[in-house]
Amino acid sequence: MTEQTINAPETGGPSWAAQLRQRIFGHLGLTIGGGILTLIVLCALLAGVIAPHDPYVQELTNRFASPVWMDGGGWDHILGTDHLGRDYLSRLLYGARISLLIGIVAALISGMIGTIMGVSAGYFGGKVDAVVMFLITVRLSMPVVLVALAVVALFGGSLFVVVTVLGLLLWDRFAVVMRSCTMQIRDLDYITSAKALGCSTPRILLTEIMPNVLNSLIVVVTLEMAHAIVLEAALSFLGLGVQPPLPSWGLMISEGKDMLLFEPWLITIPGVALFTLIFAINMLGDGIRDVTAPENRN
Amino acid sequence: MKHILLAAMIAHSALSITPAMASGADNNLTVAFPRELESLDAYQNSSRGGVILARHIWDGLMYRDPASGKYVGNLATEWRWVDDKTLEFNLREGVKFHNGEAFNADDVVFTMNYIADPANAVKPQRNASWIAGAEKVDDFTVRILLKEPFPAAFEYLAGPVVIYPNEYFSEVGTEGMGTAPIGTGPYKVTGQKQGERIDLKRYADYHSDSPKGKASIEEITWRFIPETNTQFAELISGGVDWIWQVPADQAERFKTLGDFVVSNESTMRIGYIGFDASDRYGDTPFDDVRVRRAVAHAIDRQGIVDSLLKGASIVVNSACFPSQFGCEQDIPTYDFNPEKARELLTEAGYADGFETPFAAYRNRDYAEVMMANLSNVGITTSLNYLKYAALRDKVQNGEIPFQFMTWGSFSINDVSAITSNFFKGGKDDYARDPQIIEWLTEADSITDAARREELYSMALKRIAEQVYWLPLFSYNTNYIYGAGLEFTPTSDEIPRFFNASWK
Repeated sequence: MTEQTINAPETGGPSWAAQLRQRIFGHLGLTIGGGILTLIVLCALLAGVIAPHDPYVQELTNRFASPVWMDGGGWDHILGTDHLGRDYLSRLLYGARISLLIGIVAALISGMIGTIMGVSAGYFGGKVDAVVMFLITVRLSMPVVLVALAVVALFGGSLFVVVTVLGLLLWDRFAVVMRSCTMQIRDLDYITSAKALGCSTPRILLTEIMPNVLNSLIVVVTLEMAHAIVLEAALSFLGLGVQPPLPSWGLMISEGKDMLLFEPWLITIPGVALFTLIFAINMLGDGIRDVTAPENRN
Repeated sequence: MKHILLAAMIAHSALSITPAMASGADNNLTVAFPRELESLDAYQNSSRGGVILARHIWDGLMYRDPASGKYVGNLATEWRWVDDKTLEFNLREGVKFHNGEAFNADDVVFTMNYIADPANAVKPQRNASWIAGAEKVDDFTVRILLKEPFPAAFEYLAGPVVIYPNEYFSEVGTEGMGTAPIGTGPYKVTGQKQGERIDLKRYADYHSDSPKGKASIEEITWRFIPETNTQFAELISGGVDWIWQVPADQAERFKTLGDFVVSNESTMRIGYIGFDASDRYGDTPFDDVRVRRAVAHAIDRQGIVDSLLKGASIVVNSACFPSQFGCEQDIPTYDFNPEKARELLTEAGYADGFETPFAAYRNRDYAEVMMANLSNVGITTSLNYLKYAALRDKVQNGEIPFQFMTWGSFSINDVSAITSNFFKGGKDDYARDPQIIEWLTEADSITDAARREELYSMALKRIAEQVYWLPLFSYNTNYIYGAGLEFTPTSDEIPRFFNASWK
């Protein structure tokens, strides 16, 4: 039914699963990206256990304590403390939760919207396609950051608002990619056979179309996750995203900005964390594309 | 991402630069201000930078000596109250404007009548709204007519009310004054580049009897640099010689760099917490005086002053700045005592605390400390951080139940500029206490100093006893300048460059 079954080896070579495993671990970018991302996800999930301090507890007499590798730093606060004497490492770990949460939820919301629109447009074509293309054009003509800023300014910044706004804004790439993927396969023989067998349209969409566009979808998900995380950081940096005292990496950079000349590590640390996370997600996405692309299959 | 790393790299390299100081050998001074001016016309500009610049270009009839706080004559030599709504001035003779126009009674009468006319929309209106007009007695004697008795008249005549040349101004209007201002002040404008810089040159014929003294600096370049980190970089590299309003943390770091003088002076601005005590917002826990007292006990004001504001800041208990006339200090006070706060909340029926929105527009770090203090006694706050204008409008429309804000009294050294603004039943009044409104209304309309003091004292005692406001702390300003500069900061937040000099 799917390409995998068609390509299923009957000659006694390595099984499909073994091949996949080999492809995954043979791909350097995928391994590195996946490894780093797993580590960050673990840090975020276990923040409550591994964070050395409460990220909200202020210690006003111990503000701007240096990280351990700088003069005056100590092991009590490995990454130092911020402008209110809060432990920087703990805030960074809890901040990872916020970043990942926003990335995942925003990508899920926009993925749902974009996929439904893209697949419908690609499969049904005609008027549906025209409407969807119009919506995509409208959406693409709106600068994401400006719209997000306006909405957040109207409704006030909060985690919920930021996630919703980003989720409702970032579906364009999903729609475009899903549309063209669906168009490519909608006239293939196995779809025609399914139609001839009398399968219902929802069944065709769910069991014939979706599994075959899934690999592209995963790649777009990783891209949009990274996009959402960077946008959240930007909004928080501008003071319109996640509101204090919630620890967000963008907010940490914004709070450290005033001390840019004197304590640059306040910006460097969350900056590097953000960089690493985005890097890992993009590597992972690249890797998934390479591994699942038809030309890489034997 | 790229920007952030780049910025971090720039920051690292900036630190390795050895401060390149302007020596002052050429006797010139470059100062930096964050915001550009709408106009150089002193009456079309309400920003702090414009107020400061106006003191350099123009003179008032009077001058308040920053050291003694006394009013002395500047363009006027003597004055007397004819009755409680008429002030008579003898003017100084022999004073000339920058363009050579001679100063006389016509200039004063013209200026007063111009700013008193609402059609001319002087900004801000409060500078002129108390003036009914002026009349000429002879060439060097004028009378200023007040709409009603106004105790703070001298404060305005020594401050924002500056005298314009009638002939020049009639000819060029506010637009001409905005681009090529002419005054009698110690500095004249020689050029400007909109949004970038203003060039000032010492006025050689400045009248020698002025209480402002003879200026020493030859040329002042007034630069606009909005970004604080850019200001710091410019100061370190010698692009500017003087900056101010530097936050305490950065000022401390500058001290360790050497080559700079960091001086700190108190300002008249105080921070406060406002409560919706009169149901303007709706039914809130703050209707109960015990809850307001609990908040007063919950917030560690001394801790915030010691760790964050530092410098000349102090905890303020009365709803005014201590140096202001009428600012009673013998009032009920509330110490930092979370235990007591919890007891009061329990008494008021909030044993499990409550949730409330909390609004602020500046110093988010101070707000965060207060939020942590409040959560410690069971009050959960959600921060609503807005731009000043947005928050002010919401507050004035009764849309905010609980807020951290500040008030600078426009550097007017009289409680009518603060207490009356917030408790006389106006848009900012969330107490709406009829008794206080009555006392303040009377105090603001009489000139009998003793009676005014008595009325303000009663009002301030009641405000503190009822905790209609929780005054927090006074602000301070850090000035940073090259070690070669002689400069004395003043608490009215008006740097006087005409009194500065290079060693």
